[in-house]
Amino acid sequence: MTGRLTLWWMIFRISLSERLVYRGDFILSTLIRFMPIITQVLLWTAVIGAGESDNIKGMDIGDIVAYYLLVTVARAFSSMPGLTHGIAGEIRDGQIKKYLIQPIDLIGFLLAKRIAHKLVYYMMATIPFGIVFFLFRDYFDGWPPMHVMLAYIASLGLAFCIGFFLEATFGFIAFWWLEVTSLMFMYMLMNFFFSGHMFPLDFLPDWLRNGFDCLPFQYMAYFPCAVFLERMTWEQTINGLWIGFAWAVFFFITTQLSFRFGVRRYSGFGG
Amino acid sequence: MDCLKTMPTIEVNNLTKTYRVYQKKEGLMQAIRGLGKREYKQVQAVRGINMQVEQGEFVAFLGPNGAGKTTTLKLLSGVITPTDGTATVLGHVPWQREDNYRRRFALVMGQKNQLWWDLPAQESFRLHQKIYRVPEEQFDATHDELVDLLGVRKLLGQPVRELSLGERMKMELIAALLHSPDVLFLDEPTIGLDVVAQHNIQKFLKHYQQERKITILLTSHYMKDITALCQRVVIIANGQMHYDGSLSGIIDEFGGHKNLTLQFPEGIENLPDLAMYGKVLEVQTPRVKLQVQRSEVGQVLASILSVHPVDDISVEDPPLEEVIANVFSTATDPGEDASA
Amino acid sequence: MSTSKAPYMSILATVARNSLIREMTFRVNFIAHSLSVMCWTSLQIIFYNLIFQFRDSIGKDTGWTKFPFFVFLGTVMIINSLMQTFFIPNMREFSEMIRQGNLDFVLLKPIDTQFLVTFTRIDWSSLANLILGICVIAYSLWQMAFTPQIVQFMLFPLYVIAGVSIYYSCMLMMSCVSIWMTRNQSLDQLWFYVTTFSRYPLEIYKGSLGLPIRWIFTTAIPILLVANVPARVLAKPLTADQFPLAIYSLVIACIGLYVSRKLFLASLNRYRSASS
Repeated sequence: MTGRLTLWWMIFRISLSERLVYRGDFILSTLIRFMPIITQVLLWTAVIGAGESDNIKGMDIGDIVAYYLLVTVARAFSSMPGLTHGIAGEIRDGQIKKYLIQPIDLIGFLLAKRIAHKLVYYMMATIPFGIVFFLFRDYFDGWPPMHVMLAYIASLGLAFCIGFFLEATFGFIAFWWLEVTSLMFMYMLMNFFFSGHMFPLDFLPDWLRNGFDCLPFQYMAYFPCAVFLERMTWEQTINGLWIGFAWAVFFFITTQLSFRFGVRRYSGFGG
Repeated sequence: MDCLKTMPTIEVNNLTKTYRVYQKKEGLMQAIRGLGKREYKQVQAVRGINMQVEQGEFVAFLGPNGAGKTTTLKLLSGVITPTDGTATVLGHVPWQREDNYRRRFALVMGQKNQLWWDLPAQESFRLHQKIYRVPEEQFDATHDELVDLLGVRKLLGQPVRELSLGERMKMELIAALLHSPDVLFLDEPTIGLDVVAQHNIQKFLKHYQQERKITILLTSHYMKDITALCQRVVIIANGQMHYDGSLSGIIDEFGGHKNLTLQFPEGIENLPDLAMYGKVLEVQTPRVKLQVQRSEVGQVLASILSVHPVDDISVEDPPLEEVIANVFSTATDPGEDASA
Repeated sequence: MSTSKAPYMSILATVARNSLIREMTFRVNFIAHSLSVMCWTSLQIIFYNLIFQFRDSIGKDTGWTKFPFFVFLGTVMIINSLMQTFFIPNMREFSEMIRQGNLDFVLLKPIDTQFLVTFTRIDWSSLANLILGICVIAYSLWQMAFTPQIVQFMLFPLYVIAGVSIYYSCMLMMSCVSIWMTRNQSLDQLWFYVTTFSRYPLEIYKGSLGLPIRWIFTTAIPILLVANVPARVLAKPLTADQFPLAIYSLVIACIGLYVSRKLFLASLNRYRSASS
């Protein structure tokens, strides 16, 4: 157990020092990533201004802007840059062998590395996120009550788990099909739409919207934002958390299975 | 055209290249800061080179890393402009970059690749044909000749990325020679190749140069390349020329000493102390290797032979590599004069 | 020695052919890329369709009702597709060459260096969006209440070319600037997000947040003209109040090409004297 703890601590320290080298650039590039918010504000102001009412499906301009800002937070938890690509790459050029020889649990190792990266990222990103949220503070209605905050934090944790295990599964598909990364881009586009990253899912027609509840995507972006903005009843929130949890477990299992069977297939080839 | 004939193919006077480097820093903040104030370091890559090369010569540039060989080739091909000095190649000033000049030479760099990585070399050759405006029949003839000379016909359909380093270099050479240049600059063409591939490239270059009588400037780290190919050697170190002449002339000029090997009778008890005659390089009883000033060889031999019993004697020039390494190491210290 | 111009068209044809061969060797990538490009476009269409479920136009009294706006969207698609196919990958490669000091072979060739750098390769898979864009425009024009005149159909390609020229000039200048600047991702990123401004109608840029953006990106970095001008020429009635912006954008296109050419040559000179 202490061995594993020291390993995690080491991984954490390495990722921290990696980030610190480029800290100036990091803060700037994080700020730049908020630039699309400007066009969203302008676009939705124009759209709402073209009608009589000051809202669309109960969301006024403040809610919409707050939504887009919160989506960036949710995506900071659920997006896994380089995960699928990294795994598929290691399978392609045979690097994966070294994990099969060493006494390391590959999935555990990847998870530890990812958590370390994310923790360091959140530490560093507090400054740019703080600046932006402060600038746009007028679009928020204040902090939600305590129990909602707890549900929000839980939903962010689920967003991380679903994102990680989903993309790891994608990576292990490379055991069967090497070109998987070329389709990743398409998956990311679909995710952009289905997760609510592109626009609040409330705008979809109800029959479509209800169907989305059962898909895993919205738990990676829309759901946490909706929890924070209290766009759902408490009952719906709890239900959503359970469905999200079920998806996290589901993808946890697919990760394990795809890895196990993939390795068996891989070593079967003697690769 | 008559006046061109009397002119040397390459004429270089006081060619100098100085450039500034500054410590680059990562990041936008640093870049913005860097726009205002920068700390520069002056680097003198080439300092006042003078030389003339006649048509049909095969000249080697010899020098340690960073001596200015590649920079000189880039100056002569007009890729970069000099800080000072003049040069003409085939009657053109290279850095004016007239198309008529650019169509008449080629540059091959062993460490860089100009063929399309994912395509068969054949496709890159076609593009070169268009860019250099090589007429169809001439292209076919040159192409076939080069492909057969280098023995790569089977490889023409394979993507370049699947070729070995040696095969790729052959393709690079074909691409460079498709427009039948009059002057060819070769920068380390055999770098990283195995002995067989090196030998093949050398053989090809030698044959091609003798056949076409084109002018070639070559830089290389491998003495083998140079001894196999070049009649004339230019030693560049620290941006300056230190020697220009034949390969064997290097030893006459810089090999200030000879190596004497004295074989004493088997079973000799005490080897005589020879330190008074010169530097003792190696003692392997009963053999002693002695370094003696070139001018004193006769005198030293006479005195040793008159005092000691000696079975055998040989007098040799020091190895070429050693002499050249000596020139390099003295040249990098500007305080000393290499030819002293 | 012949003095005729180098056969640029046949060089371009060879580059086009080579690029196609290359993409065909990576067929899965080619298909995946084409598909994702089309996917993205479909998502955008769905997104704006949703918006038009709630409102009749984008912005009050802007005239950007559903089908005119889809003409705008189609124009954005066409221009982006042309940029992606011909220029953006090459400009990126050019910056990379400058940064790594790899311009040598390009400078050796006996043809215009800007031509060679601009058409190093062609990304055919991005052309899918061009076809899609044309379809979107055709459908929208058919559905639209207002039918454009013949002149408008003739002016549209001209202004698309002007828009692409403006965009290209900006890209080229950005790449040239990297000779003076050090490598940094923030600048590339910033540029990427700035170009997304060009995908929205000029009319949404108003108020204290929008107006400064409108001023900067129609004058100093005129990317707001890129899609807006051709889209207006086709989707809105040709009236006198369109002329100032239309003529302005033509002038800007010419100035842009001229200035970027000058900057390109200057940066090559700097490269030549600054590297060894």
